[in-house]
Amino acid sequence: MTEAFLIVVRILLVCLLGYWGFRLWGGTRSWTSRAVSGLCIVVLVWQVVGGRF
Amino acid sequence: MTKFRTLWWLEYRRSRVWAAALLGSLVFWAWGLEQVPYAMPEERFGIRAGLLGADAIVGVVVLAFMIGRVRSETRQGQYQILLLTPPSGYLHILARFAFALSVGIVYAVAIGALLWWAAARAGLHLDPASAAQLLLVCPLYGAGIAMAPLFAWTLLLMVLASAYRISGTAWIPGTVMVVATPFILRFLGERLSYVLYTLPGWRLFANLEAVLAKAKVEGTSEALHAGIVLPQEPLWGMLALAVAMLVLAGRIWQEVEA
Repeated sequence: MTEAFLIVVRILLVCLLGYWGFRLWGGTRSWTSRAVSGLCIVVLVWQVVGGRF
Repeated sequence: MTKFRTLWWLEYRRSRVWAAALLGSLVFWAWGLEQVPYAMPEERFGIRAGLLGADAIVGVVVLAFMIGRVRSETRQGQYQILLLTPPSGYLHILARFAFALSVGIVYAVAIGALLWWAAARAGLHLDPASAAQLLLVCPLYGAGIAMAPLFAWTLLLMVLASAYRISGTAWIPGTVMVVATPFILRFLGERLSYVLYTLPGWRLFANLEAVLAKAKVEGTSEALHAGIVLPQEPLWGMLALAVAMLVLAGRIWQEVEA
């Protein structure tokens, strides 16, 4: 039960981060901003999928 | 160099009230230290050292807020009005960072002086080398390990959020960066801990044992008696991180505002 709940939460968080990544990619014309926000998104996805939280 | 001086002057004009208020608050803290009521000198010194630690944290937070006022200023168009041929984004970032770090170092040295005074009042009379370490080495080490990366991070955060202001999504990069930072810091901290003390450490307060014996202080940790050994690696690691964040912030400024 708890594990299934956590899996659903993780899937929802990854979807949210994916949506934010999409918005961040198109929200600016600065490539460095895209790279920095992309790095943050990747770190968060990494934590959500395989991290300890 | 002239452009940098102009930006420094601009920074001084913009932030002098913050800097003066912060440095002036030290008078209040000194008055507060004088009011500590405990009779035992060791207890008084402990409370005073704790108060000065809190003072240092408050100062760093205030300076981080001071340095982070990027977004509102770019919105008001101050740079376009004051600098018709704007210097590069790197110089903007460097001037802002250098001003805040300078104020922070002065503030940290003043806190070191207050700690020296509190130690002397508790009967701990430091030798000249230890006093110089307390007044100069500790503040500079603290500035390198905490202030510089925090200010650079604040600048990067605000410049990154500012890059998204036209699309109205500035809160998303802000949130993402704030939430991701602890994980990145933990990753870097683990890597730094592997190489800790690979380089020779810096020994401070080598005569601490004699000072403690002279003041007849008992019950202190044996490890402290030979002084404190500061590792070099965190300092170089955090300074490198600060430089990397400043370069990124300058690059974003260059791409967005230039």
